[in-house]
Amino acid sequence: MAQEFTRVGLVTGAAQGMGAAIAARLAADGVHVGVNDRVQTPQLLDVASRVGGFPVPADVSDRGQVFAAVAQVERDHGPIGVLVCNAAYMTMGALTEHDEADWWKVVDTNLSGTFHLIQAVLPGMRRLGGGHIVIIASEWGVTGWPRATAYSASKAGLIALTKTLGRELAREGIYVNAIAPGVTDTPQLEVDAADAGLSLEQMHAEYAKDIPLGRIGQPQEIAAGVSLLTHPDMGALVGQVLQINGGTTRCRV
Amino acid sequence: MSVVLVTGAASGIGGAVASSLRDNGWTVAGLDLQPAAGVALALTADVSDPAAVAAAVRAVREGLGPIDALVTAAGHYEMLPVSEISPESWHRMLRVHLGGLRNCLSVVLPDMLDRGRGSVVAVTSELAIGGGDGDAHYAAAKGAIIGLVRSLATEVAPRGVRVNAVAPGPTDTPLLSPDSPWRDREFLATVPNRRLTRPDEIAAVVRFLLDEGNFCIGEVISPNGGVVI
Repeated sequence: MAQEFTRVGLVTGAAQGMGAAIAARLAADGVHVGVNDRVQTPQLLDVASRVGGFPVPADVSDRGQVFAAVAQVERDHGPIGVLVCNAAYMTMGALTEHDEADWWKVVDTNLSGTFHLIQAVLPGMRRLGGGHIVIIASEWGVTGWPRATAYSASKAGLIALTKTLGRELAREGIYVNAIAPGVTDTPQLEVDAADAGLSLEQMHAEYAKDIPLGRIGQPQEIAAGVSLLTHPDMGALVGQVLQINGGTTRCRV
Repeated sequence: MSVVLVTGAASGIGGAVASSLRDNGWTVAGLDLQPAAGVALALTADVSDPAAVAAAVRAVREGLGPIDALVTAAGHYEMLPVSEISPESWHRMLRVHLGGLRNCLSVVLPDMLDRGRGSVVAVTSELAIGGGDGDAHYAAAKGAIIGLVRSLATEVAPRGVRVNAVAPGPTDTPLLSPDSPWRDREFLATVPNRRLTRPDEIAAVVRFLLDEGNFCIGEVISPNGGVVI
């Protein structure tokens, strides 16, 4: 990349799908992006190289790994001014049949993992005198969804965390907001398809039927929202939840 | 180049939106009570007057071509206890805000639907979501805009037209008088980001919705410093 980077960022869950699209967009916006995923793979290295960034392997549900990874980024590149908490784990099933340990793994990856990340990043962000944090929640954290109690609970928790930290941190110039994407064309939809007993293509069509716009979203459309929320001059968006979903939230029955 | 019609373009949020869109490649027609500066075509009309709006929209089409986007920012503000809101004041508030949107839509939307493309951003207010002491008629008018936006959005999305809204918080514009309680230091100390919102921050959100918000339908984005979360 020939361009000049002006800020250091970290995007979790960035080996593929939405996280990879967000990393690419932030790089285009001048952010030197650390791309995180659970383990270092050729795929993660490939994303890092394509965005002119660097790999930050760590399991976000492991507090020790998160703090070590953030410390390493700060040593190598400086404090993190842009944090995008995108990593998520999802399994589906009826509440009473959902394996208890797996149910908690969803919550502890999505909700607790974000808590660990923000705690690890905040001291550096404070040293910078401000920063932008975007939490990728989900439409299902707003509306709920059958057979997704753990996922919906974790995402609704993230929305409340966003609102609270929005209020708590804005006075320090640290702006926390969320995006609640609707159904988006990412590899995560394979989980939905498997649960519904459909092919991925059938699942896409099934979801598109219920979306006023008539199609599912693209990862780049979510990444554009991240770009708005993390613009260096943007400090008026505080504790908000951008619902980028093709019109579903308030009309799906 | 795409053509956007911006109402309330002579000052404040509308003015910031007009210049931001112009700087980013849009051809801007500005509609206001006074001629807007720095736009490709400046028209004067009271948005509460359907005939005047229709004439202005005709002039835009003749001068600049088909209208690709509409941003409605024209508005006025007054703060009154509910018992002191006169019927005239109530009527005017609804006709300017809800009527201003409706009057523009009724002449802009048919063409957008015929062409199968278009984007509308209505400027509403955080008071429509959070309410406020002394804001009954303003909040009612701005709230009605949100109801219209959300309903219309789902109705026209399948036909290629996106409708969304922006709900700013207290913003540093001429609409806020120098002695406005929202400029008061004590009030600002209660705002999470400790300041008024800048018009350019609203403009950035509007531009996002027009240029990149292709999956945003009936969404209300709130750049408000955190006053309503």
